Amino acid sequence: MIHDPDRPGGPGTPGGPGPAVVEQPARSVRMARLTHAQWSSTVQELLRLDAPPTSLAEAFRADPSQSGFLFDNDARALSVDEALWGAYQRAAAELAGQVTTDAAKLARILPASAATPEERARAFVESFGLRAHRRPLTSAEAETYLALYRKGPQAYAGMPAFEGGIRLVLEAFLQSPHFLYRVERSTEAQKDRVPLDDYEVASRLSYGLWGAMPDDALFTAAREGALRSREGVATQARRMLQDARAKSVVEAFHRTLFDVPRYATIRPSPTRFPEVSGRFAEYATRENTLFVRDVVFSRQGRFSDLLTSPSTFVNAELARVYGLSGTYNDDFVPVTLDSRERKGVLTQVGFLASHATSADPDPIHRGVFLSERILCQKIGAPPANIPPLPAPQGRTNREVVASHTEAPGTNCASCHSTLINPLGFPFEGYDAIGRHRTTDNGHPVNASSAPFIGSDQVQVRDALDLADALAASEPVHACYARHWVEYLHGRPFAEEDGPLVERLGKLSKEGGLSIVDLVVEVVTSAGFVNRHPEELP
Amino acid sequence: MKLSRRLVLKGIGGAVLGLPLLESLMPRAARAADSAALPYAIFFRQGNGVAAAQNTSELGAEPERFWPSALGALTTQSMAGRAVGVLSDHRANLLLVRNINMKDYDYGDGHARGALQGMTARGPVVEGAGGSSEASGESLDHRIGRVLNPQQRDSLFFYAGRRGGWLGGPCISYRGSGARRAALHDPWVAYQTMIGGPGGLTPEAREQLLVRQRSVNDLVKAQLQQLQQRPELSSSDRQRLDLHLSNVRDLEVALSCRMRADQELIFQQQAPGYDSTVGDEVLATAKLHMDIAVLAVACGTTRAAVIQVGNGNDGDTRYRDPATGQLMENFHYISHRRSSHDSSGGIISGSDVLHHQVDLQFASAFKYLLDRLAAYQLPDGKRLLEHGVSVWYNDLGNGPAHSAWNIPYVLAGGCNGFLKQGVYVAASGGGNPNHNRLLNTIGSAVGLKNAAGGNLDDFGDPALPKGVLSELIA
Repeated sequence: MIHDPDRPGGPGTPGGPGPAVVEQPARSVRMARLTHAQWSSTVQELLRLDAPPTSLAEAFRADPSQSGFLFDNDARALSVDEALWGAYQRAAAELAGQVTTDAAKLARILPASAATPEERARAFVESFGLRAHRRPLTSAEAETYLALYRKGPQAYAGMPAFEGGIRLVLEAFLQSPHFLYRVERSTEAQKDRVPLDDYEVASRLSYGLWGAMPDDALFTAAREGALRSREGVATQARRMLQDARAKSVVEAFHRTLFDVPRYATIRPSPTRFPEVSGRFAEYATRENTLFVRDVVFSRQGRFSDLLTSPSTFVNAELARVYGLSGTYNDDFVPVTLDSRERKGVLTQVGFLASHATSADPDPIHRGVFLSERILCQKIGAPPANIPPLPAPQGRTNREVVASHTEAPGTNCASCHSTLINPLGFPFEGYDAIGRHRTTDNGHPVNASSAPFIGSDQVQVRDALDLADALAASEPVHACYARHWVEYLHGRPFAEEDGPLVERLGKLSKEGGLSIVDLVVEVVTSAGFVNRHPEELP
Repeated sequence: MKLSRRLVLKGIGGAVLGLPLLESLMPRAARAADSAALPYAIFFRQGNGVAAAQNTSELGAEPERFWPSALGALTTQSMAGRAVGVLSDHRANLLLVRNINMKDYDYGDGHARGALQGMTARGPVVEGAGGSSEASGESLDHRIGRVLNPQQRDSLFFYAGRRGGWLGGPCISYRGSGARRAALHDPWVAYQTMIGGPGGLTPEAREQLLVRQRSVNDLVKAQLQQLQQRPELSSSDRQRLDLHLSNVRDLEVALSCRMRADQELIFQQQAPGYDSTVGDEVLATAKLHMDIAVLAVACGTTRAAVIQVGNGNDGDTRYRDPATGQLMENFHYISHRRSSHDSSGGIISGSDVLHHQVDLQFASAFKYLLDRLAAYQLPDGKRLLEHGVSVWYNDLGNGPAHSAWNIPYVLAGGCNGFLKQGVYVAASGGGNPNHNRLLNTIGSAVGLKNAAGGNLDDFGDPALPKGVLSELIA
């Protein structure tokens, strides 16, 4: 199978004259264990359960963090240790018991009756095996499962022989490495890459876009060779992106990207901000989810829309903070905020209040967030034992921070005056709960700044200007694409991803590429449907 | 099936026996008369330094509230009024060590430097990475497990506190360079991991389970082995497969080291707040972890356990101030003396005293562990406490300065006479890093050797001076 190995940069590559840059796969893990969320979704689909086995998955020990990788699917960190193996065993026994002792549940996964129980068991092993291993079983593999089926009467003496055998087989499928890992076995290089086989492409698609196993349509596409062309992959990807499973994945991606879990730490001073309740953080989280869902799916929006759209969702409490007139209640409703005060996710209360102390905005951490998450520019950790911020003594928050961190010739100044503070100060127009403000400590707010965005230094008056500048910057769009590449591949950015990310950055910035289209571009790229000819060390 | 040692539970003081679960720690099947007393190590990690004597720019001179008032033999008098005074009842079995200095590796963050170096004595994989750092070597608990545990089972690595946060949450146990281990949070899951199967089964059901598991294990093993044989696999893929395969095994020994069914039920119901930010719940979880660790070392199913409380800077746990009954600010703020994770927040008045209160709560939790270990009397007349070593240690010497010097180390139990007991000593080495030599000393006490069969002396960063701290050895 060939996925356009000679295609320079893929279709729609802008860039004019000059040597074409070839998009390449990067080295990757060959055996990527399912994340706990993927395991749960996969089990639900595989066993055709009404609900995911959440309580079983929640009992799995958490996977370790790996070198600060943002998402939960870095395949290098996903191993099966003693604790997880034991939990997999217990879960397999529990699930197999549930399904095989309930005739209705069992009927959902069994093939039609056959002449003999053995023949029916064989048909089950083949049909279920295709879905559990996510590829057709070899005849030798089918035989080993059948051998286990025949041990049913001993293993479950209290059950009818057929059900007992199926129960043991189910336990084995759920513990098989071919179920627990996405195993990529293709080895045959064509030129400078190893094309994945049909079923491996199907699994990359389903786990990337759904966090779950392929459905019947995707298996059919794999069987019929429909995933061997870019168009075939794109057709499936577009179909899959309409599905609720994709919506969950896209929302989870943005929750991580925008550090929404941090919203839970929002704790404004009740004396300074009596207008917000104990549920403020929860409301901010809800707003973010609704906003992302609306931009990506309802509006088929672009990344620029996430950065600049004044439309969002509020309930009564958030409406108060945003200064909206009108009547609101506990329900969230769509609103368009005053575009002279708000533009996009970085001017919404969640980001602002989660990057604030209990009393004041926190331009340092707002700036660090922008640098690392929006510009993909890592900021070094501060030295230990830094002296505390001095008292305001009548000054603005900005003046205090600037005086403390930008003294010429100090260690602090090297990062703060050029990299951090210029990205944080534009948000001084919002207080510690994200409310718009024009004065600070009795002085007019100064939110003007000249941050570096990529290699360009840009003069901005405030956060609204900054949002526009970010949305107009190719490196910012490329950074967003880079996060998608990392997430969809479950590995850190690699040099080989550069040309793809650059191409998508251009397309996204220039306006032709919605977020959904951007995701389709990643999963149809050469790097997604091929392996690197060399292994990850 | 035979346990590694015979255990006889004797009542040592009614108060201790009155604690819940103690009786349940008696392995049900303890009957073999093997009294080989194998030393173990249990590590209990606190972050953020302690409220020792220091000068802070926030509060000025802070008095000594942690260490005893004098070096030498520990007395109730020298320990009185200090955090370690909570352990006074166990003073005959304590070895307090000051002047343990870590190396000032460039982790780009004091907490990363302390937490990731703590059990590994290694620098970072990538310098200056701050909260994205990884240690560049194996941790001591893992080495003990890999070399000394039956079936080379992993050491037990427990974590009490909120998931995630600084350094990603659990961060002190490593298989090797950059290979961080997952931790056990939920005590009930941890217990089932330790016993190697589901709790709450009758002996007959357990036997049937083992038979079924063997059949499935055979199939899984064959599949894993076939995958292992594929020549294209990279070393990192192969390592993950090796780890997986090593765990597909029969665990009959462990399955018999268990609580009674009724006690299991209590344990299951007691497992509270393992993803909590409330200090009471976090430390209660750590105590349940201690119960499992004690049961495991009593049965000999592991020779090493490590209990991490709070994430890299324990920046989410809020301990309770006994003076007000209220939860304090998170421990990281308290340790900084300021309402921020850096220096930007306002001063928290009296935070040195609050830090001391946190130290007291850790001391009480550690005492709980020692009480448990002391309640087991072995056939040789010694208590389980004396057979191994329990280590309460910290990532930092102090909070505001993130010092790598004078890291608090409180050891309890002498590993059958290997370590000095009942004293407070200053480790040698002047102001030079000697923390790696402390880990070598503990490793040696538990039974690890160097290549020549002598004391372990080369654990940790090979660039550091090798050896043990002989002044700690009896």
